[in-house]
Amino acid sequence: MDIFLFIINKWIWLGCAAIGFGILFNVPVRTLIPIFIMAVMGGSIKFLTIKLGGEIVLGSFLGATLIGFLSIIAAHIKHSPPFIFAIPAVIPMVPGVFAYRMMLGIMRMTDVGHAAFPGLLEETVSNGLNAFFVLLFLAVGVSAPMLLTRTESAKNFKLTIHAKQEHKK
Amino acid sequence: METVNLKEKEINDLCRLLLEMGALLMSSGANTSRIRTTIMRIASAYNYHAELLVTHRALMLTVYGKDKDFFFNRLKRTPPHGANFKMVSGISRMSWKIVEEKWSLEKVVKELEILKNIPRYPRWIVLLVVSLAGASFCGLAGGKITECIVAYIATLCGLFIRQETAKKGYNSYLCIFAGAFISSMLAGLAVKYNIGDYPQRALISSVLYLIPGIPLINTFSDLVEGNIMNGIVRGVNGLIIAFAIAMGMMCAILIYHI
Repeated sequence: MDIFLFIINKWIWLGCAAIGFGILFNVPVRTLIPIFIMAVMGGSIKFLTIKLGGEIVLGSFLGATLIGFLSIIAAHIKHSPPFIFAIPAVIPMVPGVFAYRMMLGIMRMTDVGHAAFPGLLEETVSNGLNAFFVLLFLAVGVSAPMLLTRTESAKNFKLTIHAKQEHKK
Repeated sequence: METVNLKEKEINDLCRLLLEMGALLMSSGANTSRIRTTIMRIASAYNYHAELLVTHRALMLTVYGKDKDFFFNRLKRTPPHGANFKMVSGISRMSWKIVEEKWSLEKVVKELEILKNIPRYPRWIVLLVVSLAGASFCGLAGGKITECIVAYIATLCGLFIRQETAKKGYNSYLCIFAGAFISSMLAGLAVKYNIGDYPQRALISSVLYLIPGIPLINTFSDLVEGNIMNGIVRGVNGLIIAFAIAMGMMCAILIYHI
């Protein structure tokens, strides 16, 4: 029961964070519910990967890739470009804690003594690299579905081969 | 002679319209290849070729007929950037309708006017929901209810200050700095006086509403698709925003000696 409550709790947080950014970016009202669902699913994959012993980088990548694929499906249903769904939905996975620790480490490095410096440097670089790679793989994951399908617009998936040839003419 | 003038007028109108759409897309947060495909799609619907140079702050467009009798060339500055996905979605939808339903130019002008007048979300909704997002970040980072409330209040005040400074027309990075500073000053109070179990988490999540999400994703997609110049420009823009956030937070941390 407790684990169930925990999961519901996480889902609500994930969805609300994404909706907040959707409102900030002024998305159309009809896209808010898909954004909520996509953020919940992507975030769940991330937490699941970490729970199963995976790296946070891998978890973020898998979550973002799922969001990327879902965004193409949502784009068909709601008739909006895919990235409108993907950007707000992926934002709850941004590694705020790592970035904060890196910033704090860099600040402390300016006035820390000789003895403590190597340890602090190690910690800061590790946090910074984690933040960087999570961000990088979020971007890769979101763009991956579009790159894999090699089309310039998600709408082309729907067209039959005949229609595609017509379009090229 | 009559048809020549007509054609010249049509290509003039089309070019002006395409540039306006491109500028709107750019300032609303679309990536470079989307701007290019949308403009090309609409131009080809009217049987013209379009060549487009997209940069961060200006667009250059050349439109010419299939028989190359006429061409039209114009440069337009992009308005200041501000995320507006309703506009991106609206123009994208319209571009498909233009191709499929063969719209006339007058109808496109009218539709674009309607799109420009679509209201944004009311300010109080933005404030309340974005603050809820701040609290959600805190919840995701493992904060309890006290920390979430701290993050909510800090985000609310920071976002309000950011909107106010943006309205007064200050430099956009300065607005972000001000927002981050106010947010971390408020959340820093909780750290200073040890309110809640993990007040640090409230401090971290109170500035997350400022993160440059659109530049981040657009940087990557521009770089990968070969629009490297635009990708670098967007990336540097995102970095400056991140730097402004860090500066705001740093000032608060130094003031409080946390």
